[in-house]
Amino acid sequence: MSRSAWVFLLMSVAWANSAHAQDTTVARLRARADSLARAWREAGALANLVDSLERARAGEGRDTIAVGALRIVTNPSPLPLRQAAARAWPVIDSLYGTAGADLARRPYIVHAVDPDTAAPRASFHVGLEVPWDLDEASVVTLLLTNVPIAPPDLALADWLGASLRPAVRSQYDRATVYVQLVTAPSAAARRCYLGDVGRCADALGFGDPAGALERWYPSSGERRALVIGSFAEYFNRGATATAFRACAGGSDSDCTELLRGLTGNALPKPLGYEARTTLVHLALRLGGRDAYRRLLANPADPLAARLTAAAGMPVDSLISRWRGQVMSSRPRPVPLPVWGFAVALGWTVLFAFCGLRSTRWRVT
Amino acid sequence: MARDLRRWVVATLVACGVVAFALLPPRGAAVTRAGLVFAIPQSTPARLRAQALAAEWRAADGAARLLDQRARARSVLSSPETRKLSVTVVLTGPQSIPREAVARVASAMDSSWAALGLGETKIGVLVVIDLAPGTTSGPAQEAPMYLEPDSTNRTTCVALVPGGLYWSRFILGTPGQERERPYFVEWLRASLGPCAFYATYGAPSKTVRRWLTVRQWDIGRFLSTENPVRRAWSSTDMLGDPRYGWYWERIYTFSPSTVACMAGRPAGCRALVLRGGGASDGAGRADSLPRIVRTEPRRWWQAQDLIPGERYLSDVARTVGRERFLGFWGSPLPVDTSLALALRKPVGEWTAEWQHRYTPRLRLGPAAPVTAYALAVTLGVLVLFGAALAAQRRQVR
Repeated sequence: MSRSAWVFLLMSVAWANSAHAQDTTVARLRARADSLARAWREAGALANLVDSLERARAGEGRDTIAVGALRIVTNPSPLPLRQAAARAWPVIDSLYGTAGADLARRPYIVHAVDPDTAAPRASFHVGLEVPWDLDEASVVTLLLTNVPIAPPDLALADWLGASLRPAVRSQYDRATVYVQLVTAPSAAARRCYLGDVGRCADALGFGDPAGALERWYPSSGERRALVIGSFAEYFNRGATATAFRACAGGSDSDCTELLRGLTGNALPKPLGYEARTTLVHLALRLGGRDAYRRLLANPADPLAARLTAAAGMPVDSLISRWRGQVMSSRPRPVPLPVWGFAVALGWTVLFAFCGLRSTRWRVT
Repeated sequence: MARDLRRWVVATLVACGVVAFALLPPRGAAVTRAGLVFAIPQSTPARLRAQALAAEWRAADGAARLLDQRARARSVLSSPETRKLSVTVVLTGPQSIPREAVARVASAMDSSWAALGLGETKIGVLVVIDLAPGTTSGPAQEAPMYLEPDSTNRTTCVALVPGGLYWSRFILGTPGQERERPYFVEWLRASLGPCAFYATYGAPSKTVRRWLTVRQWDIGRFLSTENPVRRAWSSTDMLGDPRYGWYWERIYTFSPSTVACMAGRPAGCRALVLRGGGASDGAGRADSLPRIVRTEPRRWWQAQDLIPGERYLSDVARTVGRERFLGFWGSPLPVDTSLALALRKPVGEWTAEWQHRYTPRLRLGPAAPVTAYALAVTLGVLVLFGAALAAQRRQVR
């Protein structure tokens, strides 16, 4: 047999051995994966059980504070939870109305802990961990911003952009919306500011998603401002970097193309989260104690129809009232007190006087 | 001291006392809770164990599938027509995959391959895209895994890439998706991982391979041809801005070597780059054993020590050019020697300069900036000069 034939034969044997070894490895890995999958399923079931036990255990050996439908399960501590709950409950009740009764079955679980960060703390798996020296106002805010209400349906949550919680600073939120109406680089927002209720509805996101770009940002300047102001980091790299630079250089077609390329509902609405929240808060206030239930009753309906049902009035009227509220919440300009001028002038005169009156001295 | 002067000194001290009394609160500032951050509930030990088992399952299942796919594709990849293609994509999933999906992925992969400047290569790449997230008997695969060429198959590198919900929907077809094609091409290119290096530069020498294996290819996650580097996404984008607190919170989580490198100290940079360079891990490992590369499934940038390490090898390759990089890639010399030869500079110094291109240089220690010293000295000199001038003019001789 020639030398090359021997080499070929040896290589074939080596390859066959390694291929067999690989087959064995695959079989061993498959067996291990199957075994791990079984163990994972069992561990998952056990973890679910432990989590539910933790939730049950979180309420044991603790105090339960009941104010209205609010239930707060907590350990004994100086934390002013009862007083805070008494202040928070009317606010929560006014927002959720009859739906607020469900909170009796969804308690807050609060672990009051030593505020000293050097003090050892037990691990916790459920609820909120709060330092016990928190003042009452902060605890009220904590309760309002963490209301354990069931989350709303996906359509409402998507449109709203966040959970629906009681307003902590409603006047400030309305003032923020006023500023957005004035400063947003969007024709829809400006027309809303000038009194066009239809454009208000559009700016709030009730319009047809198709053609939103043209309606919200119809001018080339607005589109360019949007790309440069909100998406510079996103577009100025990789495949879109060339188009971004062209857009920044004034090419409207590139700006439009970039904005059209945004997926889903990533195109920013002209008005922010505060605008939509204040509208829903108004609808719930106008609609009475059952308004929240009506708002959630038909998740498949368009949002305008759901707000109409919640507020008990046509959505145009609701938006009109909302706009009126916003316009009346114009932020007050920062006043400069009259005595401020006098004080500034007084100091100036004093220093000038001192400077002029200083005496010469002698070198002794 | 002259009587008038004493009067002025007393008046100044009294004025300072009045200002301090008016502006400084007598019992310290009120405690503010504005920055209070509440703790997040921790997972139970049972949940942590379930997650650890899921990670083990992903490793075992991924390794089995990589080997299985390579064995299945052996006949396909060995045909002369396929060898010319150099990159083959396999779509796996429980449902039937439409023909358009195959065409879509093939076209995008061609673009990715061309963007890397690749044509026919000695080592081919088999990309397996899993379109069935979470539908198998175990938990969903979350991150790509790679099978490097070994003695069983020296000409194929395999990448197992979970499509995830987003790209699976894109591949299988959703309306208006053509707009997303450029991003898909980039995603495919990034998914090639170490296989892109194998395809471009061939198999590395044993020393380089061991070095990268010990590091789990953390410095060779992407092969990028983009220049300048700052235009591309990198993990430095996750650091944020030095003007904000979270940037510094991240800095404080880094190892001393990482911080030293970000401060421009070559010794720190050298230690980071050469970690694993002299290791004997896997030295006695048989060449026929499968070499699986696993990447961190979530927040991999938080586990990095070199920032942005994922681009390091790619930047070295682009900076030194193909010939010199091939010299390093195939060198049997220790990594620090071969890398320094390719860079024509000590590794630490080159890396410190590279680091500075991505992150602002950190100032370590209590030293004030030089400009602050200069300003303080200038102001001091001006004040002294002014005071001396005023005193001279007011002297009566």
